[in-house]
Amino acid sequence: MRVTLAASAFAVSAAAPASAFAVDYLSIEQAAKLMFPDAETFDVRDVTLDAAQLQQLDAQGVKARSAHWSVRVAKRGANTLGFVVFDDVIGKVELISYAVGIATDGNVKQIEILSYRESHGFEVRLPAWRRQFVGKGAGSAIKVGEDIANISGATLSCTHVTDGVRRIVAVVAAARRGGALA
Amino acid sequence: MKFSRRSAFERRARPLLGTIVDIGVRCDAATALVDAAFAEIEALQRCLSRFDAASDIARFNALPAGACVTPSAATLEVLRAAQALFVASAGLFDASAGTAPDGWVCRDGRLHKLHPKTQLDLGGIGKGFAVDRAVERLIEDGATAGWINAGGDLRVFGDLELPIALRDESSGASRPFGGLADGAFATSRFGDGARSRLAGPSRGGPATRGTAHVSVAAPLCIWADALTKVVALSGDTSHPLLERHGALAWLH
Repeated sequence: MRVTLAASAFAVSAAAPASAFAVDYLSIEQAAKLMFPDAETFDVRDVTLDAAQLQQLDAQGVKARSAHWSVRVAKRGANTLGFVVFDDVIGKVELISYAVGIATDGNVKQIEILSYRESHGFEVRLPAWRRQFVGKGAGSAIKVGEDIANISGATLSCTHVTDGVRRIVAVVAAARRGGALA
Repeated sequence: MKFSRRSAFERRARPLLGTIVDIGVRCDAATALVDAAFAEIEALQRCLSRFDAASDIARFNALPAGACVTPSAATLEVLRAAQALFVASAGLFDASAGTAPDGWVCRDGRLHKLHPKTQLDLGGIGKGFAVDRAVERLIEDGATAGWINAGGDLRVFGDLELPIALRDESSGASRPFGGLADGAFATSRFGDGARSRLAGPSRGGPATRGTAHVSVAAPLCIWADALTKVVALSGDTSHPLLERHGALAWLH
C-alpha cells in the first residue's frame, strides 16, 4: 500500500480548491451493443403513453415522469431480442445517465451507467449546466473520462437510478401491452 | 505508473451495493473481465444485502430466536470478520447495529439466532469485502492494473497510482486528497443526518459538532471500510486496530 498526500489534502476546506467531477463510461450505442451483442439493428421507437396507460402506471405506484419515451428495439433479422431505454436522473449533486436493457420476458437484462456528472451541489438543477452534457459520451472508443480521479466520500446512493429502472420497466411493459413495440 | 487520461483503461459503472460501482481495468479482454467482476459483486450482494429478501442476512433477520440458516461460504467469511472486529474493537464495530450483539453465532456452517431482537446489517463491512473479492477475480482473470470504487470504498491494484478526491457530501464539493497504489481507501460521513454517529468528547472523541468524515487507507478494502466505523466511534485516528491491519486514518 502506498499513499501520497496532495499538498492541499487537508487544507482548511474554505481555502481548498473545490472541483466537480465527470466521467463518461459508455455511449448510447456502446451500451446497446454491450447489452445485446447479437443484435443487428436497434430500431428507435418513440412511445407516447396515453392517459389510461399513465393512470395504470400510477396505480402500480410508478410515476411515469413523462408520457414520451424513446425505446430502442434490439433486432436480429425479424426477431426482437429486447429493448434498451436511456434516461437521466438528478441526485443532490449529481446527474447520472444510464441505460436499461430489458429482455423479451420483461425482466431487466443489464443496467449500465453511461455518464456521471457531479456539480458543486446547485448547478445540477440548472438546465444550462445539464445542457452542456447533451450529446457527450458518444465517443467511438471506450476510454477513461477526462480529468477523472476516483472520489471517496460518504456513500453516494443509487436510489434515483433504482427508481428510474423500475419506471422504465413499467413504461416498456405498458408500451408493449399497448402494441407500441410490436 | 501515474494515472493518465490516455491510459488504456476500460471504465464502466453499474448501480450495485446501494451505490454506483465504478470499475477500471487495463487488460486486452477488459470487457469480459469487467463483466465477470460485476457478476461477482452481484452474486455477493444477493448473499449479503439485508434489502434482498432472499439473501442470507434478510433470511436470518426474519428468523425467530432459536432458528438458523445455512449461509453461503462468502457470508460466513464476512460474519467471521465482523465477529473478530467486534471482539477486537471492544464492541465498537457491531454488525447487529446495537440490536443485540450477542444474539447471533456461526456454528457448524450455520448462522444461529439466539435473541429475537438481533438484526444483522453488513453495510459497514460488506461493500469492502465485495470490492476485495471482485478485485481478486480481476487479478485471477489476468487484469494487470485497475481499480474498483464502490461509492467511496475503493481498491487499486497493479502498476497504477490512482488520484483520489474527497467529497464533502453536505456541499457536494470534491478536493484532491492524493494518490493511492496497491491498497484500499474508504470514507464515511458521520454526524447530523448520517446513519452513523461520531464519538463526542465524552467517548474520547474530538469536540466536533455537526458532521465529519473519516477516511482509512488499508491494504484490503474490507478493513478500510470497517475501520472507518471504529475510528469514528472511538474518535481515535491512532486506534491500535489500525496498525494491526496496516491501516492509516484521517479525520476531516
